[in-house]
Amino acid sequence: MKVSLKWLKKYIDLGNKVEAREIADRLILSTVEVEGVVNQASLLDNIIVGKVLEVRAHPDADKLKVVMVNDGKDTVQVVCGGSNVTENMLIAFAKIGARVRWHGEGDLVTLEKIKIRGVESFGMICSSAEIGLVGMFEEREGEILDLTEKKLKLGQPLAKALGLDDVIFDIDNKSITNRPDLWGHYGLARELSVLFEQGLKKYETKMIKGSKDINLKVEIKEKNCCRRYMAVVIDNVSVGQSPEWLVKSLQTVGLRSINNIVDITNYILFDIGQPLHAFDANSIKDTKIVVRKAIEGEKLKALDEKEYKLINDDLIIASKSEVVALAGIMGGLDSGITDKTTKIIIESANFEPIGIRKTSARLGLRSDSSVRFEKNLDLTMTETALRKAVELVLQVCPEAKVVSAVVDNQQEKVEAVRIDTNYEVFRTKIGVKIENKVIRDILEKLGFKVKSHGDKMTVTVPSWRAAKDISIAEDLVEEVARVYGYDKIEPTMPVLGISLPEENFVRKLSAKITDIAVTTGATEVSNYAFVSEEQLEKLNLQTKSHITLLNPATEDRTLLRRDLFLGLLQNVADNLRYVDQINIFEVGKVFLSEQAGEDVRPGVGEKLPAQPVIIAGMISSEKNIEPVLQSKQMVEMILSSLDFVWQEVVDSEVAEHLHPFRYLRMKFNEHTLAEVGEVHPEILSKMEIKQKVGFWKINVDNLVKLYERKYNYKPVSRYPGVELDLAITVDENIRWKEIKNIVQSTEPKFIKNISLFDIYKSDKIGVGKKSLAFHILYQSEDRTLDYEEVKKWQEKVVGNLEKSVKAKVRKG
Amino acid sequence: MVIFFNIYMREKLEKLRASAVVEIQKIKDLKKLDDLELNYFGRKEGKLNLMLKGLKELGQEEKKVIGSVANELKSEIQILIDNKRADLRSIEINEKLSTEWLDVTLPTGFEEKRGHLHPNTIIERELEQIFKSLGFMVADGPELESDYYNFEALNIPPDHPARDMQDTFYIDNKAGKEKLVMRTHTSNVQVRAMQKYGVPIRLIVPGRVFRYEATDASHDIAFRQLEGLMVGENISIANLIAVMKVALKGIFQKEVRVRLRPGYFPFVEPGFEMDMGCLICNGVGCSVCKQVGWLEILGCGLIHPNVLKAGGVDPKKYSGFAFGVGLTRLVMMRYGIEDIRYLNSGDLRFLKQF
Repeated sequence: MKVSLKWLKKYIDLGNKVEAREIADRLILSTVEVEGVVNQASLLDNIIVGKVLEVRAHPDADKLKVVMVNDGKDTVQVVCGGSNVTENMLIAFAKIGARVRWHGEGDLVTLEKIKIRGVESFGMICSSAEIGLVGMFEEREGEILDLTEKKLKLGQPLAKALGLDDVIFDIDNKSITNRPDLWGHYGLARELSVLFEQGLKKYETKMIKGSKDINLKVEIKEKNCCRRYMAVVIDNVSVGQSPEWLVKSLQTVGLRSINNIVDITNYILFDIGQPLHAFDANSIKDTKIVVRKAIEGEKLKALDEKEYKLINDDLIIASKSEVVALAGIMGGLDSGITDKTTKIIIESANFEPIGIRKTSARLGLRSDSSVRFEKNLDLTMTETALRKAVELVLQVCPEAKVVSAVVDNQQEKVEAVRIDTNYEVFRTKIGVKIENKVIRDILEKLGFKVKSHGDKMTVTVPSWRAAKDISIAEDLVEEVARVYGYDKIEPTMPVLGISLPEENFVRKLSAKITDIAVTTGATEVSNYAFVSEEQLEKLNLQTKSHITLLNPATEDRTLLRRDLFLGLLQNVADNLRYVDQINIFEVGKVFLSEQAGEDVRPGVGEKLPAQPVIIAGMISSEKNIEPVLQSKQMVEMILSSLDFVWQEVVDSEVAEHLHPFRYLRMKFNEHTLAEVGEVHPEILSKMEIKQKVGFWKINVDNLVKLYERKYNYKPVSRYPGVELDLAITVDENIRWKEIKNIVQSTEPKFIKNISLFDIYKSDKIGVGKKSLAFHILYQSEDRTLDYEEVKKWQEKVVGNLEKSVKAKVRKG
Repeated sequence: MVIFFNIYMREKLEKLRASAVVEIQKIKDLKKLDDLELNYFGRKEGKLNLMLKGLKELGQEEKKVIGSVANELKSEIQILIDNKRADLRSIEINEKLSTEWLDVTLPTGFEEKRGHLHPNTIIERELEQIFKSLGFMVADGPELESDYYNFEALNIPPDHPARDMQDTFYIDNKAGKEKLVMRTHTSNVQVRAMQKYGVPIRLIVPGRVFRYEATDASHDIAFRQLEGLMVGENISIANLIAVMKVALKGIFQKEVRVRLRPGYFPFVEPGFEMDMGCLICNGVGCSVCKQVGWLEILGCGLIHPNVLKAGGVDPKKYSGFAFGVGLTRLVMMRYGIEDIRYLNSGDLRFLKQF
């Protein structure tokens, strides 16, 4: 919301000593977020009223002209593209050094002397958008600002010539979400009066003198949705241009003038934060207004000239026969004020916030009015605003006359909000020993009434803070603390007992695994939790068990991931454009609808989808190393570093996205500890990835259940072992695990280690065959082994291998 | 006769000495030096020994004289040999060394072999470490959350205007009745944690959060926050400031000035924005702090009594504070990252810098 300093000064005398920056700083520290302080004049530095002396064609560009400009002293040459530039025109002339916004877009640029298509240009003739005056003047696309009619003094700074000497504060609307009283200038002035200890002028309004010429009827069918509805009819109104003060006031808050009546309603909205609406009385049949819910399918063409289809939740204002306004949001076009309007109905109402919010959100229609009604407005303002509106209409249109009684339809008497608390609460919560008197003073300055009895107190909340803003003692603590000054609170460490924080094993284990992966050469990535349905389909992967977003941000992020697979694969595809070796992993939650997670809320039994933490990675390199084995090594490094023992399991059924013959599971008892595999070649080809990609995956939530650190050590044998080598030829589809098992089981007590050191394939050993060479370590815990004995075992090993897998021993 | 023999022996020894000196000088490798040593001093065939065999016939006195001359000679030649050996060794080693010249400026390829933590993780761990040392536990919570824990329990009922402050991703809950969302903040764990662990409690929750909004250099649909919570008896604003100051000192490794401003979050009352003095310009004003001298660093406040109640905590007996740090913002500040989208890009050219 934009706030004008001049406007504020109507209600509070801040003198000339208080700088605008100081006001902003004080507001920032005690009240609201001020996002900007703009001095209107400073934006127009070096921009003056100039006069066009001569217009010539540009020698080298059809749409440009070479213009000679009198800047009050000198004549300068400027290249100009404005379609309406003519001789003798008074213009806004930006001299070199002025800051302008090219074509009204982007950041401010400081003007320098330039050549445009070979012609030198010493400044710029501006459009209103280029110098931040959009909305103040009538101007067509491509035109420059024509000031001829304004009869301004040649050479005068533009800011002075136009009377633009205000300072505008830009207040972050989010920071006043909870302060409906600050959505107008008077409320901010009230706040400043406390912060700067200056008196606040009373908001004066005059009683409306009604008459009985016209019988204005208001029927409220939805009493819960409309808490107060006031209206009055004024006749003999002449709709036309607003007086200059009104136009300028609206301009400071970023509104363009429409006509005097609409401008008055807008002015009051920004003055005290109460939205008003003016109807053309002739469009309301029998001057009867009905406040009711819409009938499903009813339509309204609103003032923005769009047609809205309504549902029966929407609160509307209707005449006998038709919808004339969306209550609290926007009026209808047909009942709006036009140049021909002579009789008006002014509405000042208080609508229930949630309904307004729902309708405005559903229709995507937010207005200055709806954002205020959403926030619970002070019921007393309804009357203040109507009085002010009538006063201003009568002032602007002296011929006008109130021709009805003032209708005031209020549903309930509003009880003042009272809070019982005590002074000690303030000291405890703030953590500073503030005296009772100081607490009381602050509250009273803010408009609260305080009754004390000893340390106890009863605080009555003023009407403008009572609309849901302040209702409990903690709210009062904030009021006192912020005015007292947060900067005066001395930091004090809390006094708490020493305790050992509970360990979070999922995080602890995740961190360990992450560290091992990084040490092993993997780089951590972070991907979105969303995946694309289209992408999954393209890769022939199932989509149906994925959880769906109701409002995806983009078409490629519609589902919640069940796996880290797709994100990692995309990372691989993206990075292969720059590198040929990839080793990445991610730590992240996945979302499984078929498994139960935590409670959705206490006591209802429904559970959230399970969201286990997964760590998964992909490895790919051009070199002749199988990435699935590299992935396996990664998982082995991780599991063994964490003291897990595991069995390798080769499954016959493999997930659809993985290579069916290159998949391995690491298991402990019945539990899967980890999986490794290779991305299915079909998927790789669809992703246009030309090298093999290994994949590994660990479910940390599962691992935590099995994780216990073991400290059992095995003594090192004091007797030397005998290491013998063996080279055999077998069918190439015989797995190493099988061979190892045969060897091991031959002499389980003495064979301590079997390590493969060579795999070899060639035509010499036969097609479909492979040669494996390995060391076997024989060792005893209690004696030195006899070589002859070991040789016999070795022969037994060979025999078993020959028998079980038709191995042939290779000699030499 | 004896005397003549004596003189004769002396001359022979002298000749032996002279020839040894010349021969040693000429020798160029260790093997030949070994041969020479054997040639002179070998037990059986050594020249010196052969020569001394002739002494047998001499009388005691002569033996003694000639023997001592011979020993002198032997040790003299031995020294020459040893010195020569040392010289040859050092020549040989130097030759070996120079053939082993290596270009040690050759690349090792460590860049490809080295793994890297994501910058989010680096900063997240630093914060975890700091808060753990202050006695905070590190909790976790669901990213897909119920409307109840993300909003309602945090004093944000349906259709509350504050819902506009956080644009939300909604979930199609096919199986159940509850409204589900992607959590918009890590504050969803506040009530869960109080229900689970009770009071007093000190805990932080780092994690991913989600916002339904248009992305640009400073906005992404997914980023990270770190939530903190401390509930006990008589926890005050003064406590909140003190704890935050210590934490910020831990993060930035120096004393940090802070200031509180009013900030509106429905789950705290009072609520604050905490700014810290810009460390780049020390508060004078620079482009990083947009000339203000202060940087918005976190939102915080005293936990609203309704939130304590939802967590099963008696607000009359206990109070507490909560804070939420934009972890992603800290990461961007720390490394001067100007576009948030890098963080979720998976681009190794970016990630390998950390």
